[in-house]
Amino acid sequence: MVELRDLHMRFDEKKVLDGVSLKVEPRERLVIMGQSGGGKSTILRLILGTLRPDSGSIFFKQFEITRLSRRKLQRVRRHIGMVFQYSALLSSRNVRDNVALPLEELTDKSRSEIDKIVDEKLELVGMGDSKELLPEELSGGMRKRVALARALVLDPELLLLDEPSAGLDPVIASVIDELIISLSEKSKVTSITATHEMDSAFRIATRMAMLYQGTIIEEAKPEEFKHSKNPVVAQFVSGSTEGPILEGSLDAITKK
Amino acid sequence: MPNHEPPPVVIAEGVGHVTRYFLRQVGSVFWLIANTFEETFERIQHGRLPFSAASFFRHTERVGVDSVPLVGLVSFFLGLTMALLTGYQLQRFGTERLIPGLVAIAFTRELGPLLTGIMIAARIGAAFTAELGTMQVSEEVEAIEAMGIGPLRFLVAPRMLALVFLMPCLSTVSNMAAILASSLVCKAYFSIAFPYFFDLVKDSLLIRDIITGILKSVLFGLLIAAIACYRGLTVKGGAAGVGASTTSSVVTAITAVIGFDTLYNVVYTTFYPT
Repeated sequence: MVELRDLHMRFDEKKVLDGVSLKVEPRERLVIMGQSGGGKSTILRLILGTLRPDSGSIFFKQFEITRLSRRKLQRVRRHIGMVFQYSALLSSRNVRDNVALPLEELTDKSRSEIDKIVDEKLELVGMGDSKELLPEELSGGMRKRVALARALVLDPELLLLDEPSAGLDPVIASVIDELIISLSEKSKVTSITATHEMDSAFRIATRMAMLYQGTIIEEAKPEEFKHSKNPVVAQFVSGSTEGPILEGSLDAITKK
Repeated sequence: MPNHEPPPVVIAEGVGHVTRYFLRQVGSVFWLIANTFEETFERIQHGRLPFSAASFFRHTERVGVDSVPLVGLVSFFLGLTMALLTGYQLQRFGTERLIPGLVAIAFTRELGPLLTGIMIAARIGAAFTAELGTMQVSEEVEAIEAMGIGPLRFLVAPRMLALVFLMPCLSTVSNMAAILASSLVCKAYFSIAFPYFFDLVKDSLLIRDIITGILKSVLFGLLIAAIACYRGLTVKGGAAGVGASTTSSVVTAITAVIGFDTLYNVVYTTFYPT
């Protein structure tokens, strides 16, 4: 479904991705884990084509995202749904209009058909009674759910989720996670989630990948990942301060 | 005494950097205009409206209807001042009947579009940049792009079209306000009756002056919209970035309008010297 081949990416002087290669099979729920600012969101944006890598290739089905023209890329994006870290709802539109936007702009459906689909998707995420509210009137969890409904409105084959449960209380985070699982099971949606929330990651994932210093250092099923021998993965999973991840920076903190 | 002047190489390097930055910015604005047209026509080719009528009319209302009081009032006062100042000078030579033509030609051909351009760059250019800049920093623009919707067609095209359509209208409002003001001055201070005033205006105005003014205002509209939207879509650095870009947008748009007006006049007078 998705394949990343030897991706390299720099932002000014900072090397963010240094040879990332990954394969995602259909109906898989891949969770990419890694430190904040480590390049997880960058990978999602590269798959979506809103960023271009310095080198390397990205394939989505038969399309090579990195070589597509702007026009073709826009067409391919209709098969991909993206949930942004801060939801990115259009602040001037209410919940219903936010969810209806892709249908209004990209399909020839009538108003009544659009309303029916929007109602269906909002019910699915449990936001059916908040259609008239503006994004500023919603809580973080509600915004995330609306963003998810918007991402699902065109029935995408691939769902990209950037920190779906970050900043949410554990109950709402679980609701979002369950929703992602049920979507992949019922609607056969493949998903790639970038997160550093361990509980959420282990709940969602059918496979996990650890991004560290610009490369994927381990790929495994959640159970194997939990008991990884790799010191970086082990430290990340346990959340310990002892280990290779903070080595340099911890020394600096202690010296201060 | 030590010499603190920078060496010529450093000066040349500085000039090079500034020139390169300037050319890159100009190129980017033209790229934005070209791509907005491309995205919009692509959509029309597929037999669909490029943007909703509601979105377009929301912008035309803001750009046009809401700007009428400002443009009308400022132009009215300037028309008054211009008629008064020129009138007293011309009166010394007994040629005060030249005031109507002078004000009419000056506003129709030059001051109307220019003043409107400056006012709209400040009022609407700032609003466009702040609005798109806020959408940019809150990832809304990226979300639109992620859905497969062309952000230039969806966000820039309705704003650009509203400005291009409404600038000539506002420019006409400005001309009319200034001519009306000067007619009042002519009547009150120089005893020129209204029918005679408007006869003099009609005699002195050429169709060429009117077309020049309209053409200029259309181009100013395009320029202001492109600069404002470009600055908005390239905002970086959160709320502070939005503020800085808005200021920069207004300054750039006003400078561009005045610079373009000068260039237009130079080219125009070269080809049509009389």
